[in-house]
Amino acid sequence: MLRIALKGILGRKARLVLTSLAVILGTAFLSGTAVFSATLNRTFDNLFSDVFRNVDSYVRSTQVIEADFGAEERQRIPAELIAMIEAVPGVGDVQGDIQAFARIIGKDGQPLGSEGAGPPTFGSVGEEFKGALWTISEGKFPSNSTEVALDEASAKAGNYVVGDIVKVVAQTGSREFTLVGIAGYGDVRSPGGATFALFDLATAQEFLAKPGFVDAILISGDGSASDEELAQAINAIIPSSYKTETLTGAEITKETQDQIGSALSFFSILLSTFSYIALGVGSFVIYNVFSISAAQRQRENALLRAIGASKKQVTRALMIESVVVGLFGSTIGLFAGIGLSKALSALLKAASIDLPSGDLVVPSSAVVNTIVVGLIVTVASAWLPARRAGKVPPLAAMRETAIEIVVLSRRRSLFGLILIALGAATIVAVTSGASNKWLGLGILFVFSGTITLGPVIARPVALLLGKPAEKFRGVTGTMARQNSARNPKRTSRTASPVLIGVALVTAVAALAASISSQIDGVFTQQFKGDYAINTNARGFGGLSPSLADDINALPEVERATGIGLLTVKIDGKGQYLTTINPATVEGVYDIGLTSGSYADLTPETIFVSQQYAENNDAKLGDTLQVTLADAQVKTLSIAGIYEFDELAGKYTVSRDLTKDTTVITFDLGVYIKIKSGVSDESARTALQAAVDKYGQGTLLSKREYIDSQSGQINQLLGLIYGLLFLSVIIAIVGIIITLLLSVFERQREIGLLRAVGMTKSQVRTTVRWESVITSLLGAVVGIVLGVGLGWVIVYALRDQGLSSFSVPVGPTVSILIMAFVIGVLAAVYPAWRATRVNLLAAITTA
Amino acid sequence: MKNPSAATATNVSKIYGHGDSEVRALDNVSVQFETGKFTAIMGPSGSGKSTLMHCMAGLDEMTEGSVTIADIDIASLKDKDLTKLRRDKIGFVFQSFNLVPTLNADENIRLPLLLGNNKGNEEWIQKVINTVHLQDRLTHRPSELSGGQQQRVAVARALASEPAIIFADEPTGNLDSTTGNEILSFMRKAVDELGQTIVMVTHDPVSASYADRIVFLKDGKIAGELLEPTPELVLDYMKKLGH
Ligand SMILES: Nc1ncnc2c1ncn2[C@@H]1O[C@H](COP(=O)(O)OP(=O)(O)O)[C@@H](O)[C@H]1O
Ligand SMILES: [Mg+2]
Repeated sequence: MLRIALKGILGRKARLVLTSLAVILGTAFLSGTAVFSATLNRTFDNLFSDVFRNVDSYVRSTQVIEADFGAEERQRIPAELIAMIEAVPGVGDVQGDIQAFARIIGKDGQPLGSEGAGPPTFGSVGEEFKGALWTISEGKFPSNSTEVALDEASAKAGNYVVGDIVKVVAQTGSREFTLVGIAGYGDVRSPGGATFALFDLATAQEFLAKPGFVDAILISGDGSASDEELAQAINAIIPSSYKTETLTGAEITKETQDQIGSALSFFSILLSTFSYIALGVGSFVIYNVFSISAAQRQRENALLRAIGASKKQVTRALMIESVVVGLFGSTIGLFAGIGLSKALSALLKAASIDLPSGDLVVPSSAVVNTIVVGLIVTVASAWLPARRAGKVPPLAAMRETAIEIVVLSRRRSLFGLILIALGAATIVAVTSGASNKWLGLGILFVFSGTITLGPVIARPVALLLGKPAEKFRGVTGTMARQNSARNPKRTSRTASPVLIGVALVTAVAALAASISSQIDGVFTQQFKGDYAINTNARGFGGLSPSLADDINALPEVERATGIGLLTVKIDGKGQYLTTINPATVEGVYDIGLTSGSYADLTPETIFVSQQYAENNDAKLGDTLQVTLADAQVKTLSIAGIYEFDELAGKYTVSRDLTKDTTVITFDLGVYIKIKSGVSDESARTALQAAVDKYGQGTLLSKREYIDSQSGQINQLLGLIYGLLFLSVIIAIVGIIITLLLSVFERQREIGLLRAVGMTKSQVRTTVRWESVITSLLGAVVGIVLGVGLGWVIVYALRDQGLSSFSVPVGPTVSILIMAFVIGVLAAVYPAWRATRVNLLAAITTA
Repeated sequence: MKNPSAATATNVSKIYGHGDSEVRALDNVSVQFETGKFTAIMGPSGSGKSTLMHCMAGLDEMTEGSVTIADIDIASLKDKDLTKLRRDKIGFVFQSFNLVPTLNADENIRLPLLLGNNKGNEEWIQKVINTVHLQDRLTHRPSELSGGQQQRVAVARALASEPAIIFADEPTGNLDSTTGNEILSFMRKAVDELGQTIVMVTHDPVSASYADRIVFLKDGKIAGELLEPTPELVLDYMKKLGH
């Protein structure tokens, strides 16, 4: 039997290739993402061991506030420590390190790099230091407050040469410098696509950070002591009042690598999740191909049975074939994946994210995983068709045509309906109080139920969707419509990958639509002004608080107020406080104050949200202990309670809270109300001039601002769409394979049609419309499921503040158009094959 | 004046393969099929009957010679025009697998018209349907029809577009003799009452006797002709040919 199986496989290479194609694609994504993640990880590991290669000790503050999402804000340390450390025996070279926000302005007045999205823009220290990675490739390091050096990539992007005047924007404002040097970073032109403006230490402190302070101190030893001894010696001489710690080079390297590693692991998990989804989708294609090819070989198998092969032997022959296909497919998939990960790196490079050159890392786990998973998925997908093949009665050998016999059992309908009912019941249970945990199970039930019911609904839905084709395309449309409905099992298996992909996309789109409509609503309610200045430099500072003051002073402006964010510790936990200017906020930005007045907000008081007050039983006059980033503790009494906490969060304080501290604050947005009677044009001109002075922030009208806020979610959407694209490709390949097999199966029919006068273009039309109907079938059912799934997700997030569900109308329309296009594209090759059917052979084969 | 010949083959040869494996399926065949007549082609298996029919119907390319259908020289036609010629000027009945399984009887009958976006002559179509007694089977799919009914639908389809000529390759080969005779009398009726032109390949003397004229083929050549045949005459003639 083994020999018969192997002969069968080799005898039909085309079928082997088609069957393997789905396996190849599925496993290629799996291995591609694994190799890409591993390579990226290794690259960053190497990068950071390079960064600290010659750093033997690292001194930094122990004061750190950890906020949500792993963000942490570490305090700066006094620069006077540098001199103290230089005196420690064993120390060779010392450098103060600063890394802060700075943007290089191009010759056209536009900043280099992008605000918000994309790699960050830094200002840092560029000085002669034994441990430094910056090496001057042209000119020299800056040595006074008028000089700057740029990383090579930025200099090239901005068309800057040594001697040019360069404008740089930082926290303290914008300033012009003379470009004195161009620097490379290790072996790349710029680290990871970030832009760097480099200054001497004093300028960096004063311009980028805070005079007298540095972020950390880098030390390279003179070789007389081990790293551990050196770190101990340094630690010993720094008084504990400075609240610092000293790490060895190895420790800081490891810590940074771990941080990057955990950031990347999120990315890796995301990538591999989507590649498993793609593989899952692929398993439908594999299952479908095996089913069709088993059906097409019905006579052959029946003949084997008639001449004495047992059921088991026939089944085993197909299983052996699936093992061969699985091994063959996943081996090719493995290599294709390695190519794919190279392509991904090239893509990043093209997007000017210059990763340090590193060799491709192919972890052995990825190799084993790809082959094993590919094999298991293939064999599992072939199991049912193989068993069915074994059950073929020997008599079938005598039948004239080998057409898949479609019996839709009532059991299937019943089972599908039960699954859907179970799922619906689970979801209803959650909405009436059960834990969110059950939602996943509910969704799984509904999906499995729908897929089980697939063949039952495929026929009526395909016939319905085919109506327009019949109307506009006449008899070719009729045939396409009937062809797509003639084997509902096959059609539904072909449409299932489309269904899953579309359902996921729709659900994500529904979530995004809900979020953005909510954001829209919140801003419309709370933002009462006419214009806003926006910055996306989150986590790296924001707008200077004096911008709001400047704008307030403009004659065209009725009132302008800045809103910012402050990271503090309350009860030992990192928290964000919203900072407002109580003198100007009223009438421009509404937080829905229900008790107290803005005048009550002083550096000694705090406002809390109504929700917070209820949850914590807090009332006016109660006090809160707030630890600022510089470790100062403030006791604030509650002076007001507000209702709108979607943006302001739990706590709101006056921006003067930090006035007498070393903590720097900035505004994340400035909100502006224009005097009545001032024209839009003159308001815009005046405001733009004020913004330009700071070289930072974007001036937007109220509508533009609200759209930009609610549109932010679309970036996330883009990423998820990109990843789901993998599944879409597999779905397309699934349609192509099925159509090819169907065309093969219907050779005689096509030959007959050609004989009685169907033109080649009509043959193509028939195949194309069948494909479109199949694709639309998947899309329509997928949209229905996806909207439901989206609703469930939005519901599950109600505690996170998502309160209303929106149907993603625009995306749904695009999905339908996409499904149409996919149908047309998938049909191109099969339709061409159909026109190549040998007319005579088709007619004369008995 | 109307050409008395619906289809004409002149010095047609068809060679399959080349070198040692060369098969001369048709060897310099010239034959005319008269308009309004029912002609049968007979000959032993492998004598080239089907090949002749395929070449004359534009289903296969001939190696040499020329064929005209309704005064059109088919050798000069491109695939698209040839397809249209088959659709508009030629009717086909094959031995089996004549119908599109996804279309019902009515759609199958009108298939050539539908493909040409052509309404056709409704009066004629009704007449054809009545002649083959399919009035109450029109909405049925092929799988719901008996073998005889399927062949009747095929005959009706061949007639529906009032073609210049109908080619039938052993149309009763898969039927029992009663059903086969029924089909043959329909074809006879189509010629006598509806004025159609039919060329039928068969190896059965009884079937052939329904025709006005029989053309005999042997080894790819015309071996003889018989007019106004009866089954006995046919058998005698076949014996004479050494069959
Ligand atoms: N496609 C082909 N390739 C090679 N030889 C063929 C082909 N079709 C038919 N022949 C040969 O041509 C000859 C005539 O065949 P055919 O016209 O089918 O005979 P008939 O219909 O009279 O039985 C036979 O010898 C047959 O083997
Ligand atoms: Mg023949």
